[in-house]
Amino acid sequence: MEHDTEGGMKLPLGVIGRVDTGHLQRELAALDEFMNQAALKDDVPALPRTSKLLEELATDNHVDLSRAKERQQLMKDFKSLLSNAPLLHISFASDPSPAFLRKLLSWIRSEVHPRVLLQIGLQPSIAAGCVVQTRNKYFDLSLRRHFLEQSGELVKRLEVGA
Amino acid sequence: MLQISIVGLVVVATVVLVGLFWKNSRARPANKANQNKQNTTQAAEQDVEHIFNDEFREELRNRGRLHFEKIIGENAMFLQQDLRLTTSQLNDYMKQEITRTLQEEFTKYEESITDAKQLAVDSIEKTKVAIDEQRQILGAQLEKQVGEEKDRLIGRFEKNMADIINHYVLAAIGNQIDLSDQLEYILGELNENKQAIIEDITNGA
Repeated sequence: MEHDTEGGMKLPLGVIGRVDTGHLQRELAALDEFMNQAALKDDVPALPRTSKLLEELATDNHVDLSRAKERQQLMKDFKSLLSNAPLLHISFASDPSPAFLRKLLSWIRSEVHPRVLLQIGLQPSIAAGCVVQTRNKYFDLSLRRHFLEQSGELVKRLEVGA
Repeated sequence: MLQISIVGLVVVATVVLVGLFWKNSRARPANKANQNKQNTTQAAEQDVEHIFNDEFREELRNRGRLHFEKIIGENAMFLQQDLRLTTSQLNDYMKQEITRTLQEEFTKYEESITDAKQLAVDSIEKTKVAIDEQRQILGAQLEKQVGEEKDRLIGRFEKNMADIINHYVLAAIGNQIDLSDQLEYILGELNENKQAIIEDITNGA
């Protein structure tokens, strides 16, 4: 099993937030239970069909899900990830598309932290841009904040125009 | 007038008697003075009786009536003339008086109207001046209030400029801004705050 440079597991871009991690965790548990039951019957069953997200996770972390040891290590690492992964709350004016989220998450995991999880919110009043909340800080990256910063310039332009 | 007529009749009768007496005295000679005197006295008595008999009286009465009627007629004519003259004068006098009175009244009335007109004009002028002053005061107050309201609105507008423009942008094109088009802007903003985010993620409790 391979790990990223920080020693944790590598999260696929399809895993965006805690909802996805919860699904993966439950799916991993169900898969492990199924495989264990099959092993007790001295049967070598074929790997059941898994979700695309789990396949992506296993592929990115080079894990063979048919092997119990690697599977259990993945579950352990995944559980550790859930307790330690930083969470960013990002709000947009409208619902973001999956492609947009993938691009955004790719940038954040490459530039900020490789195991960041996102919680997506909706604030129509910000018009454009986004609002980011970390554990202790609030970053207003919206067009509204931009207008507020430029209000003096707007007034000046209006006075010149008048 | 009646007294004058009676006096006139008495005078006429006296003159007639004196004339007859004087005529008889000249007709008889002086030698027959006694007889003549008696005859004269008798004749005089007869004449007197003759003069003052009923016929003579009736004649006198008729003459007096005629004279009286004549005098009455003349006096009536004079009276009528006087009355006409007096009436004419009275008419003229009344006309003059009425005209004078009316003229005076008209003059007074005209003066009253002139005074009332002048009073009204003065009152209108005062009212006009007061209205002008009030208008100027109200105009100044209105201008001041409009200026204050304008400043207040401008200040409020400037204070809420960002929200107003944001609201306008949101209402105008809010549904048409695709997040994919904003990706570059969002990534740029995130990049500017990247260090702060990393520090909070890394060091945050």
